[in-house]
Parts: sequence; structure tokens; C-alpha cells
Amino acid sequence: MSRQELLNPEGLRIDGRRATELRKIKCRPSVLRQADGSAYIEQGNTKCLAAVYGPSEPRLKSQIMHNKANINVEISYAPFSMSERKKRSKTEKRILEIASAVKQTFEPVIIATLFPRSQIDIYIQILQFDGGTIQICINAATMALIDAGVPVTDYVCACTAGLIDSTPVLDLNNTEELLDSPELTVAILPKSGKVTLLQMESRLHIDKFESVMNLGTEGCQAIYKIMDKSIRDSMKDALEKMNG
Amino acid sequence: MPTLISPSERDYILRGVETNIRADGRGRHDLRQITFETGIISQCSGSARCRLGEGTDVLVGVKVEIGDIEIDGAEEDFGGKKAKRGKVICSVECSPIASQQFAGRAAEDYNNELAQILDHVFNGPQGGINLEKLCIIPGQQCWIVYIDALVLDYAGNILDTIFVTTRAALFNTRVPKTSVQENEGIMEIEVFDDVDQAERIVGWDQVPIAVTLNKIGSRHIIDATPLEELTTEAKILIIVNKKGKLCGIQKSGEGSIEPSLLSEMIQTGRTIGQKMIRVLDDNLQREEAEMNSKRVKGQQFEKLGFFGAT
Repeated sequence: MSRQELLNPEGLRIDGRRATELRKIKCRPSVLRQADGSAYIEQGNTKCLAAVYGPSEPRLKSQIMHNKANINVEISYAPFSMSERKKRSKTEKRILEIASAVKQTFEPVIIATLFPRSQIDIYIQILQFDGGTIQICINAATMALIDAGVPVTDYVCACTAGLIDSTPVLDLNNTEELLDSPELTVAILPKSGKVTLLQMESRLHIDKFESVMNLGTEGCQAIYKIMDKSIRDSMKDALEKMNG
Repeated sequence: MPTLISPSERDYILRGVETNIRADGRGRHDLRQITFETGIISQCSGSARCRLGEGTDVLVGVKVEIGDIEIDGAEEDFGGKKAKRGKVICSVECSPIASQQFAGRAAEDYNNELAQILDHVFNGPQGGINLEKLCIIPGQQCWIVYIDALVLDYAGNILDTIFVTTRAALFNTRVPKTSVQENEGIMEIEVFDDVDQAERIVGWDQVPIAVTLNKIGSRHIIDATPLEELTTEAKILIIVNKKGKLCGIQKSGEGSIEPSLLSEMIQTGRTIGQKMIRVLDDNLQREEAEMNSKRVKGQQFEKLGFFGAT
């Protein structure tokens, strides 16, 4: 597929979006019963489910920290999540790397010092994959943490941004990711605007970097509004049910 | 998530089962309410999600892919049969999302055990699926049906839920139509992408479901909750199909069962299993009819997926 087809002369991408348009996002907290907190999020065709357990007693003695809680992240892809059915082991290096990145993203945000010698588990399951792994894991985990009532200083919202034919584009899907165009994942704390994750594994000219990064940040702010609304609506619902 | 049970709790459950009133008010042979929906993962050839009561939640995705027929040096006859059949490959994953006891590698053994049960059932003639129809080029290429079950929430009775969801997912599965042409001595397969031409899996209605009977005291119950599962002395897994034929029996657990109780349990399992299949089929047909009528009228039919009420 030639690069031209990714962004046609009218400014539309393969899925009909404009360059700076996010995919359709639908999300909902509290979808599971056993977990302390859970969330389900769909960004376009990527579907992800996250569950949070904790703070609870650590399973391994080696993981006990005397002054704060230990945060554990596990990510798993369903075998049917990609177009070709493939069973991916949880200990695959790429998956462990993503889990580690997610863990580091949440470490400054979760107020772990409130729970010394305990463990907070974040389990993420990707049900359908169409690009944007890290971003959807972070977004789902944020909602699940808030649903679990784990104290956090702010939401963490993530978004991908890239460059196709010198045009900055937002929220890349799988087809766009697989081709060589530069791609940047950024996660921010919306209230302060601070960046808590920044990852890029391709070449990007320094002159273009700022515009792509700014676009990513705007995307994060837009995602923040959607997630916040969804959580507030579901809380309002719960309050109404409680108060009769 | 309880893994320990106190003697008082055990006694409470025992007495409840004896008087036919369990902890949640059900009788010994009452099921929790099943809610399901098919076709929620668009990338799969078929999918279904089933929720038992407010607890156990299982998602099954079925993907059909073209693969090679493997005839490993088995006996002549068997090798001959294998050459003309498709394959079913099953996997089960108890996600740590369902319960903390499944985190890390703890659930591997359990996953294997469940996957083996599914594999044995579906790859044999008792599995219902017509494997001969899945063959494309005898001896070379066939359809491989991958059945992947994902347990998302745990409140007891995983295996029964997996089977029910698998049956719903197989009902929803469509196998693309193929045509085989010979081109200079090489057989070529053409797969038609047209969704309307895709066919249902032949034999989906003969697919059996499982009923797990738990022996508690001198009685038996179905659809146990986690605490009831911990009180169980012995379990019988009955796999029964629409016609009431037994497709598999497995006894597990540390206790033993008297022969008279055993035959009673098997009979109960058969009756309940057949009833469950009837109710499931009625609802599957109804869901599909609703979807088709909306499609014909040009109305949008959106799958609720995880956005339905919990």
C-alpha cells in the first residue's frame, strides 16, 4: 500500500477520518463484579477491558515495599484479537515491555504512600486490536483505577499521533501503524498538562516534532473529557440508585 | 475470592442443600439467570458472551482459518479418515481479571485441563460439528476452527458457562464459501469474501453442553457458587447433547459417589442439559430473527457488548 493511500488528496484517511480526528471512543466503568474496579473502553475497533484489584496483601514477599504500595501490571491479548488467530504468551518480551511502560506511567499518579506493604494489581485484557496498544491500556487502566477508588492525583490520558506526508495525524489505527510513518505515543495529566509518558520508535525530524507532540496532547485532552463524562454519568447513576 | 471455608459456613451450606434452599434462595436444581449476546467481536468468524447471574462471565471467540491437514504416521485407516476432516483447536484462558487466584502462571494448569476437555469433546463424533464438511482439499487443506474461551469474571460454574457460550458462538459462526480449482495440476482455493455467502458450521445444533453436578452431603446441586464449590465432596461433569445422548462423563473431586446416587445424578444432568439447550436455542433464534428483521428494514442494529446493564 503506497503512502499516498493513507491520506488522500481530500484529506481523508483510510477509515474516512480527517487528519486531526480521533476514532470514536465509547467507554464505561464498573463492568465486572469480582474486581474492585473495572472499565471497558473502545477506540474505533480496538477494544480493551481493565480490572483493578487492591490495595491488598502482596502475593510475593519479595515485592513488599515498606513505604508504599507495589503496583503490578499484567497485559494479555486474546487469541482472537488480531486478524490472524495467535496465542500470545503473557511473558512475551514486547508485552512485558508495554506492561512496564504502563506501570511507570502510573507510579507518579497513584498515591501509593497511603498503602505501605500492599499491592495494587492492574490487569488489562485486549479483546480486539486495531492499533494503539499503550494508549488504550493506559486509558482503560485510568478508568478502572478511579472505579476501584484507588487515590490518584489526576487522570492519565494517552493518545498516539503521527506524521503522514508531512501532515500531523491523530490516533493511528493498525494499518497506519504498520507502515513506516513516524508514530508518537504521549500520555498527560490533563489538569496540569504534565507529560507522564512519551514514546517513539521511529524517525521524526526535530522541526516536525513539536507540532506532532502538540496534536497528541490535544488528543489526550479530548479523550480526558470523554472519560470524565462517562465516569461522572455512571457515578450519578449509582448515586441515584443508592438514594432511591 | 474465597479459597478457604470455615466449618460453620460449610455446615450452613450443607443444611441449606438438604432443605432445598441454598444460600441465594435457589433450589438444588435451579440455574442462575443466563444473559448472553452473540456477534460482539467483529473480527471473529463468530463470538458470544454469556453472563451467569451477576457472576461468571465468559467470552468465546471462534475464528476459522485455512490450514494444512496433518497426517502423522497413524494407522492406515485412521490416517485416511484424518485426511478428509477439518480440525477444532480449543483454548481456555482464565484471565486474572476474573479473580486474583488466576494471576501470573497460577491458572495455567487449570486452563490446560479445561482446554483438554473442550478438545476431546469437539474433535470426536460426539462433538456434533461435521468435521468432514470442513475439509477443502482432501489430504492438503482444511478449515481449522479455533475456539478461544476467555473467562472474565468468576462466580463458580466456569465449565458449564464455557460450553453454553461456545454453543452460542458456534451458532453465530460463519465459514466463508470456497471453491477449488485445478490449475496446471495444482489445486487452488478461492475464498469468497461475500458475507452473505458464508455458511453456518454444519452440525452446530448437535454440539453438546456441559452440566456439572456437585455432591454436597447426600444430595446434589447444579450451578454452584464458589463457596458451594468449596463444600463439594465430589463432582460429576455430564456432557449431553440436544437428543439427550451422553457425550462425556468425568468425575472429579476427592470424595466418592454411591452407584444409586450416581445414576440419579446422571439422569438429572441429562434432563437439565436438554432443557438448557432448548431454552438457549429459542433465544438464539429469537436474537437472530430480531437482527434480520432490523436489517431488512434498514434499521441500525447495535450490539450492546459490554455496554449492556450489568
